[in-house]
Amino acid sequence: MKHNEFVYMTPMPVRIWHWLNAFGILTLCVTGLQIRFPDYINIFGAYKAAIRLHNTAGVVVSISYILWLLYYLIVAKSLMKLYIPTIEDLKSGIFRQAFFYFLTYFLGKPNPHHSTPDSKFNPMQKAAYLVIMFILLPMVIFSGVLLMYIAPLREVLLILGGIKTLIGTHFLLSCCFTAFLFVHIYLATLGHTPLAHFKPMWNGWEEEEIDDASTEKTVGR
Amino acid sequence: MHLCNRSTGLFLAVFMFLAVPVFAAAPGNETCMNCHGRTEINGPSGIKAYIDPVRFAATTHSIVGCTSCHGQVSKGHPDDGFIPPRAACGDCHSPVYEEYSKSSHASKAGCNNCHNPHEVRLPMFMSGDDINRKCAKCHDTRKAIQSHSTWLPQAELHIDTLPCITCHTGSKDYVIIMSIESRKPGSKEDFKTSTYSELSTLSQAEDVSRVIDLNNDNLISLSELREFNHRLRSKNMRLWGMMIPETVTHSYQILDNRWNCTFCHSSGPKAAQKSFIAFPDKNGGFKRLAVEKGAILDILYGTPDFYMLGTTRSTPLNIIGALIVAAGLSFPVCHGFFRFMTRKNRKENHHEA
Repeated sequence: MKHNEFVYMTPMPVRIWHWLNAFGILTLCVTGLQIRFPDYINIFGAYKAAIRLHNTAGVVVSISYILWLLYYLIVAKSLMKLYIPTIEDLKSGIFRQAFFYFLTYFLGKPNPHHSTPDSKFNPMQKAAYLVIMFILLPMVIFSGVLLMYIAPLREVLLILGGIKTLIGTHFLLSCCFTAFLFVHIYLATLGHTPLAHFKPMWNGWEEEEIDDASTEKTVGR
Repeated sequence: MHLCNRSTGLFLAVFMFLAVPVFAAAPGNETCMNCHGRTEINGPSGIKAYIDPVRFAATTHSIVGCTSCHGQVSKGHPDDGFIPPRAACGDCHSPVYEEYSKSSHASKAGCNNCHNPHEVRLPMFMSGDDINRKCAKCHDTRKAIQSHSTWLPQAELHIDTLPCITCHTGSKDYVIIMSIESRKPGSKEDFKTSTYSELSTLSQAEDVSRVIDLNNDNLISLSELREFNHRLRSKNMRLWGMMIPETVTHSYQILDNRWNCTFCHSSGPKAAQKSFIAFPDKNGGFKRLAVEKGAILDILYGTPDFYMLGTTRSTPLNIIGALIVAAGLSFPVCHGFFRFMTRKNRKENHHEA
């Protein structure tokens, strides 16, 4: 016998940030594609329009990132708890989770990680988000800001290896984000229903399927 | 009409060359430059009669001779106080003169305001900086940046990098001119176009183009560009590119395609494939050497500090980027395939709908 329970998993500020970030990054990827390949791709009409939209989306993503950081650091005070993997996570958690995704998931075994508001992410998610939110995103924002103000910041650009190095870094980072988008959206469909993980990102509440007999919870990504 | 003007211009040019012996009786350039080539001639009276002999010698005007424009030099010159008359520019350059007269510039500036007849040289012998300095005499650079930034992204960068005439001209095509720039080691100053003496020290040859054109074939190959760029890094030098119209008009019209960013920011078949490197010469001018066609697009190795969005993108980086994206896409595809094939296992265990 099973029943469903609702857990308030994602607070509103985080949801607002998430969707701002999602649409921002999607806009950046698509406009970036036109900016890099104008002879093949023309989605936004004028090249200038693509650049303006790219810059605007970049500013929105940068500001929302700062607000997200401040929210978790100052208001929720759960940044370290949610995003920094524990020793246990590094020793065995990541491997257990990978084992689940690449093998036991196909055999119908339950997810070894059970999400709670205080431990939303499984060890693999923690490691991935740590790299994305604290290394890749700051790098892409920093390189983007430098590229928006090339003339006044030229000296900084030269110290960092010149405009070509910076453009190359910015481009490869954007490819990493595009790759992440595919993986992220797909993994979000691995809940007990394909939309189980999308709903809490919209209304905050995650529906958990509870097995009354074993009290086994089958939620998690 | 154009044909007529061209024929007239050609006739005048031929006439001038033929006329040189006729004027031989008149004072030659050397006679004039004996006095006018010395700075003291300006004197305290405020008369600016000095002509830089080196710069003048590099002009086409020096070939036609001083007296072609300044005829009727009196025998008693300069003691008699008679100032020889000056020819009007339109006398020889009538097609340009007519075109310019119709432009919005004509009421604001005469030919001499931009072109000193004793130093004037063809655009192909000038750097982009030289050209922009002429515009900046009237058009304040700060104000120009401000007015352009209302519609042009990175206005300051564009104005730094492009001669104004790239857009403000009726020329349909353009070329990319790269010049060698340098600055003192450890200096935070802007890079400046390297002088002839700096490059002759580097090349240890009179012909400074040898600094890049190692095999002296008057063509810069991609491998020579790479080799030079490799050496540049330790010498506080860089190659700096500018787009310059292939032909310059004096109409100052802005063609519609200049409002379209992809006129420049495109590396497709219509994009500029012609590029040159400008080397300073002894006379204060520049000599251009052609760069291997298409080399500009492989600029990764050519000019690390020069990048045009959409134009000089690197193919190897595109491939690496595509592989990263493909790797990201392959995960849902492969995992999704096995997920679909093993869906029964999860239904039995009620983990997934």
